[in-house]
Amino acid sequence: MVVDARGSWCPGPLMELVRVIQEEPVGTEFELWSSDEGSRNDVPLWLEKAGHELLGMTREEGYDRYTIRKKHG
Amino acid sequence: MESTSAPTVPQMAIVLTEDSTDKLLPFATLVSGAVAMGMRVDVFASYWGLMAFRARPAGASVRIAPGHGDDGARLETALKGKGAPSWRSILEMARSLGDLHIYACSQSMEILGLRKDDLDPLVEGVTGIATFVDRTRDARVAYFV
Repeated sequence: MVVDARGSWCPGPLMELVRVIQEEPVGTEFELWSSDEGSRNDVPLWLEKAGHELLGMTREEGYDRYTIRKKHG
Repeated sequence: MESTSAPTVPQMAIVLTEDSTDKLLPFATLVSGAVAMGMRVDVFASYWGLMAFRARPAGASVRIAPGHGDDGARLETALKGKGAPSWRSILEMARSLGDLHIYACSQSMEILGLRKDDLDPLVEGVTGIATFVDRTRDARVAYFV
C-alpha cells in the first residue's frame, strides 16, 4: 500500500501517517510518500514516539519514500 | 465549583484571538502537531479567534492580515491554490486523531451577540476564563495567538 502525500504541506503527510496507523491492522506495512522536507525529522520522530517501525527511507527525485510497519494496536 | 483533575498526559493551552488565515493556519498546524505527539490540547477561542468559528458554508475563505504588501499577496495566492491546506480541515483531522478541546469565551459570546448554535461544531462548549484556567492549570506550554 502506498500513501501518496506528495504536494501536501506540513502537517499533511504526518496527519496521513497517523490516520493510516489508526485505521489499518497491526502488522500492516506501507509506504508513505512525502515531498515535505519537515517529514524527514517528523516522521521518524513520530514513529519512535508512537512505537511503530521505520523499515527504510529512500530519497527520490523531489520526494522521499518511507517504509513503515504498524507494530501494535 | 467543579474542578478538573490533573491530566495524565502532557497538555498544551492556547488562547486564540486572531481570525486571519495567516494566523489560523500556523495555529492549526501547532495543534495538529501537539495532538499527534500525544498531547492534550485545550483552546480558548476569544474575540476574532471566536469569530473564526462562526458556522459558515463549506470552504472557508482565505484572508491575510494587512501590512504585508507583496508578500501578503503572494501568500494569499498560494493559499488559494490547489492543494493548499485549510486550517479547519487540519483542526478537524487533529480532533479525529487525538485529544483536542475548543471552548468559546463567554465574554466574547455576549459582546458579539453569538449563541452556541452560531458556532462551528468543532467548538464543544462555552466557558468563562476561570474554568479554562482551571482546566489548563498543569499545561506544560501555553500560547497566545
